[in-house]
Amino acid sequence: MITVKDLVFSYTEKPFIETMNFSVRDGEIFGFLGPSGAGKSTLQKLLTGLLPRYGGSVTVDGTEAKRAGKEFYQNIGVDFEFPSLYEKLTGRENLRFFASLYRRHRDIDALLKAIGLHMDADKKVSEYSKGMKSRLNFIKALLHSPKLLFLDEPTNGLDPSNARVMKDMILQEKAEGKTVILTTHNMYDATELCDHVSFIVDGAIAALDTPKALMTKKRAVQLTYTFESPDGGLEERSVPLTQTGGDATLRQLIGDGKLASIHSAEPTLNDVFVEITGRRLQ
Amino acid sequence: MRANLRSMRMFFTQIKGDSMLLMMCFLPPLIAAVFRFGIPFAEGQLRSVLQRSAVLSEYYLLFDLFLAMFAPYFLVFISAMVMLSEIDEHVAAYLAVTPIRKRGYIVSRLLYPALLSVAVSAALLSLCALTDWSVWNLLLACLLSVLLCIPVGMLVVVYAHNRVEGMALAKLSGLVLFGLPIPFFLTNGFQYLFSWLPSFWIAKLFMTQNYLALLPAIFVSAAWIWALYRRFTRKLL
Repeated sequence: MITVKDLVFSYTEKPFIETMNFSVRDGEIFGFLGPSGAGKSTLQKLLTGLLPRYGGSVTVDGTEAKRAGKEFYQNIGVDFEFPSLYEKLTGRENLRFFASLYRRHRDIDALLKAIGLHMDADKKVSEYSKGMKSRLNFIKALLHSPKLLFLDEPTNGLDPSNARVMKDMILQEKAEGKTVILTTHNMYDATELCDHVSFIVDGAIAALDTPKALMTKKRAVQLTYTFESPDGGLEERSVPLTQTGGDATLRQLIGDGKLASIHSAEPTLNDVFVEITGRRLQ
Repeated sequence: MRANLRSMRMFFTQIKGDSMLLMMCFLPPLIAAVFRFGIPFAEGQLRSVLQRSAVLSEYYLLFDLFLAMFAPYFLVFISAMVMLSEIDEHVAAYLAVTPIRKRGYIVSRLLYPALLSVAVSAALLSLCALTDWSVWNLLLACLLSVLLCIPVGMLVVVYAHNRVEGMALAKLSGLVLFGLPIPFFLTNGFQYLFSWLPSFWIAKLFMTQNYLALLPAIFVSAAWIWALYRRFTRKLL
């Protein structure tokens, strides 16, 4: 679906994106993970043809992004980080207008119902809360049933239940064969939704793999246990899960039944991100 | 084309929902009526008070040229206000990733309103002009007025951060129209100090009926558009 070869881009004299290469397969959810200002949104703008002055090649659905025509935009849906809605119009009027720009579109009422905005559809957008605007913005991107979806921080500002609804809708899009590009600094969303994630730092890809592979490759799962120390306090120790057999103290404590607590801690994408890049996501 | 027309329709929907912009739509015909009836009346009064055969009538062509500018100027101003709102609401950037694209957005917010203003300007000039105009000259005056006003709208969008600043800038940018009186009042070489204003060349063209002035009139407007275009498109994203 997307092939990026030797991509180079700059807003000024100083290079911002330097020799970037990656590809995204049809029907997968691909995440760009990185801190603010890392270049994620710029990358999204490049992929959607908004920044045509780049070097190298960016092929999206068979079209070079800098030459994107009307047909290209019939097949992509974009959910910007910030709501892009007419504040003086109602939610329904907004969707009607944006739907009218495409050859075909989905049922507006069904989308409103799916995201839980059907009761507020005739309210002006200026009366919506931040979360309601985010949800309306999200279904606006789905209106024309695009083959390729670009979602920039879609769950930002949503309460857990609405975030759950949105994530389920994203997974439903994937189940229907759509390709999704998810730009986020939310490691939990990326872990749950993405087939592949790439860590973007300072305009470059620091790592690219499946979330699971990234998490297991870089740092082993740790087993942490506590027990009563000779001075009467609680002592905590950690050992890689794969080396528990070699931990004599642990074996002894299990044998004597003197463990106070024991649990395993799997590394998160954030841990891996910090380990690889030395930077924090959130 | 269909998407561009839908976008144009949304342009009118926004004007309809904004009382200030709606009122501004009625200003050009109102001013035209004041020119058509008020100025000849004032001329009559001034002649009898000052005991002169002509007072304002020597400048009827100048009034007509201002009249030709009003519709494009107000429509481009309205368009700039709509664009500033759309930039503020991030809709302008969003429309660039729909079948409208950035080009279609510019067409529906600048070119179509400009073409509409040619028609309005031509109608007002043919109904309310104080001097006689051939069809050719009338159309030429209206087209050049539009070409002059497009960079004014771009200037407002590029440098204003919101609608309040946009209104202040629009008033200031109205100064570009003040190239019009220059050839009427400055007859020596100093008048060419204002040659960077397209309005100066428009006045020169119709005052002298020298069609060579058409070239700098077009060139200076085009140069303004060229100078602003990159910043303007960058502001939309």
